[in-house]
Amino acid sequence: MTANITWAAFSQQILVGLSKTTILFIVSSGLSLVLGVLRIPNVFHGSLYMIGAFIAYSAAMVLGGSPLGFWVALVVAPLGVALISLIVERGLFCRLYEREHLMLLLFTFAFMLVFGDLVKLVWGSDYRSLSAPPILQGYFSIFGLPFPRYNAFLLLIGPLVAFGLWFLTNKTKIGKISRAAAVDREMVGAVGINVSWVFAAVFIIGCFLAGLGGALVAPTQNITQGMDHAIIIEAFLIVIIGGLGNIWGALLGALIFGLTDSIGILVWPQFAIVFPYIAVVVVLMFRPQGLLKSVW
Amino acid sequence: MKKSIWLLAVPLCLFFLYAVPGALAGDTIKVGIVDCYSGPPSTYTNDVRDAFQLAVDNINAQGGILGKKVEFTTRDSKFKVNIGLSAAKELIMREDVDILMGTINSALALAISNLAQEEKIPFFATFSKSAKITGEAGHRYVFSLTENTAMAGKAAASGLAKHPFVKYWIAGDDYEYGHAIANGVWSNLKKIKPEVKLLGESWWKVGEPDFTPYITAILSAKPDAVIIATGGRDCVPFLKAAKATGFNKKVPFFMHTATELATLKPLGPDAPEGVIGTSNYFFYYPKTKANQQFVKDFRKAYNRYPAVGAVYGYMAGQFFKKAFEKAGEVDTEKFIDAIEGMTVETPVGKVTMRAYDHQAMLPMFMGVTKKVPQYDFLIAGDIITIPAQDVMPSIESIQKARGE
Repeated sequence: MTANITWAAFSQQILVGLSKTTILFIVSSGLSLVLGVLRIPNVFHGSLYMIGAFIAYSAAMVLGGSPLGFWVALVVAPLGVALISLIVERGLFCRLYEREHLMLLLFTFAFMLVFGDLVKLVWGSDYRSLSAPPILQGYFSIFGLPFPRYNAFLLLIGPLVAFGLWFLTNKTKIGKISRAAAVDREMVGAVGINVSWVFAAVFIIGCFLAGLGGALVAPTQNITQGMDHAIIIEAFLIVIIGGLGNIWGALLGALIFGLTDSIGILVWPQFAIVFPYIAVVVVLMFRPQGLLKSVW
Repeated sequence: MKKSIWLLAVPLCLFFLYAVPGALAGDTIKVGIVDCYSGPPSTYTNDVRDAFQLAVDNINAQGGILGKKVEFTTRDSKFKVNIGLSAAKELIMREDVDILMGTINSALALAISNLAQEEKIPFFATFSKSAKITGEAGHRYVFSLTENTAMAGKAAASGLAKHPFVKYWIAGDDYEYGHAIANGVWSNLKKIKPEVKLLGESWWKVGEPDFTPYITAILSAKPDAVIIATGGRDCVPFLKAAKATGFNKKVPFFMHTATELATLKPLGPDAPEGVIGTSNYFFYYPKTKANQQFVKDFRKAYNRYPAVGAVYGYMAGQFFKKAFEKAGEVDTEKFIDAIEGMTVETPVGKVTMRAYDHQAMLPMFMGVTKKVPQYDFLIAGDIITIPAQDVMPSIESIQKARGE
C-alpha cells in the first residue's frame, strides 16, 4: 500500500476507469446483443474489434494522416466491419442457426483464427499507431493530475452509444422484433416476419459495435495482432457477470470491470491485475446467473 | 572369381551408404533457425532473419566458408516452447544442421540450449533477453548474440546514476522479462547510488492495452523518476499513454527499448520526447562507415531501415565465417574453440565473443527520444555509448550463479 491515495488521485482513477468502461461497454454490448438474439457465442467478436482498429488505421493513412482522417476512420471502420459481418452472416452463418451451440462455438472460434491470419496477411506484423486529431491530443488538469482529452471524448461517446442502443432496442421496429425473436423465435416466424433477416440485422449491429470499439481504441493503443484475444476474454466475462444477452448487464459488467481495474491500480499496484477478476468471481459466487436478467 | 566380386561389392555398398551422403552434406554448412515468425514478435525476428540472409548472401558470393556454401532453413515456433523445441529437434535429426540459431522467447531459448548441450550442436541465441542463457544455465554449446536483462540493467543504472533522481517508482510487465529488467536496474543502481529510494511498484499484464490508469496512479505518488520495465509490443501503447497524459514532461522515465526503431517508427510524430532508453543499435548510430554500408545494403535488399535485430543476425554470419575459417574445417569442437574470444568487425564496431560465458560483448547506447526534421518518426538523441566492458556481468557473478 502506498501513500499516494488521495481524494484527487481517487477521483482521477474513477474518471480514467470510466473512459476504459466506454470501450468495454461498446464491445461487450455488441457481443451481448448477438448472444441474446442469435444465441451465438461469437468468439470472433474480438477479431472484428481488431479489424476495426486496423481499418481505422488504413482509412486515416489514406487521408495522409490529416486531422480529418480520424473522424473518417471512426465512420469507415465500423461500416467496414459491418460489411464483413454481413458477408459472413449471409454467406455462412444463416445456414447454421439450427445447429447445436457447440458447433456454432467451434465455427466462430475457427473464424477467429482465420481472421487473425487474414489480418497478418493484409496488414503484416508491424505495429501500427493512429493519432488522435489535434483537438483531442494533450490533457486537462483535473485536481492537479492530468486527464487525457481523448479519454474525456470517450466519456462523451459512452452515454451516446448507450442511448443509441436503448433507442434501437426499445423504440424501433427492428429492436422490438429482435427482442421478441430472442424470446420465441418460432412465434415471431409464425406471425409472418422474416426472422432470418432480423437475425442478420442484429448480427451486423453487434459487429458494427465491435468495429466501433476498435476504431475508438485505436488512438490509445498499439494496433497489432493479439488485440483480439485480450478483448474477447474481457468482453465474455463482462457479458457473463452482467447477464447473458442483456445490454444493460453489459453496461453494469463493464462498469465493474473498468472501475475495479483502475482503482485496483491505485490501491495495490503490484497486484492490480487480479482486481477485475476477483470482482468477477465475487459476482458469480452470489449471482451465478449474472447481475441482471439473462434472456437465455 | 565370382566370390571375390561379391566381396568387393560389400565395401562398395558400404562406401555409397556412408560416404556419399557425407560427401553431399560436406558441400554446405547448414544453419537452422527456430524463431517466432507469427504474431507480434515477428516485427523483431524478421530483422534477425533478413540480416542473416544478407550476411549469408555476402559469404556465398565470396565463395562461401572454406569453399562450402552456407544454407539456412527457418522454422516458426509460434512463440510456443513445445513447437519450437520439436522444430529444433527436427532440424538436428532431419536437416542435419551444423548450427542452431534463434528465438525471441526466453523459455524456448533455454530449452533449445539444453537440447544443444545434449546433441553437441552450437546454439546461438539471437533475441532472447534472459541473462540465464549465458549466465547460470550457460555451457559449452550455447552462445548469445544479444544483450540480456543483466546487461541492460547495468547499462541503465550507470546512466541513471548520473542524474540527481532519488525517489523512484518501478512499473513493468508482470513477466520474467519485466521483473528481470527491473531487478537488474534497481540492484545496480542501489550499488552505485545507495541513497536511492523506491516509492512503490506497479505491475501489469503482458499485452495491457491501456496504460493511462497506471500512469495517473504513478504521477499521484510524485516520484523523481520512473523505471518502466516493459518490452515488446507494450512499449508502443505505453508511450502513447505517456504522451496523452504528459507523463514525459512531468516526470522523467527510463524504458529499456524506448528508443528502438520497432517502438518509435509506428508512433510516428506521436511519440513522447525526452524518454530515456537503451539499445544495442540504431541505423543512424554509430556513425561509422561500416554501419552506413550495412544500412545501405539492408535498405537495398529489403527497402526498410534495419532495426536492432538486424545487427544480431548479421553478426551471426560474420562470426560463423571467421570461426570456421580459423578452425580450418567444419568441426563443432574446433569451431567452438575458435570462436571463444574471437572479435569481429560489426556495424556497431568490434564485438568480442567472451570466452568464459559465450556472451557477445556488445556496447549499449543510451539516448533520449527526440524529434528531428529528417525522419517522420522520433529518434534517439544525445547518445552516450556505454562500452561493453561496463555492461557485461562480471565473470565472478556468473561463476557464483553457476555454483562454481
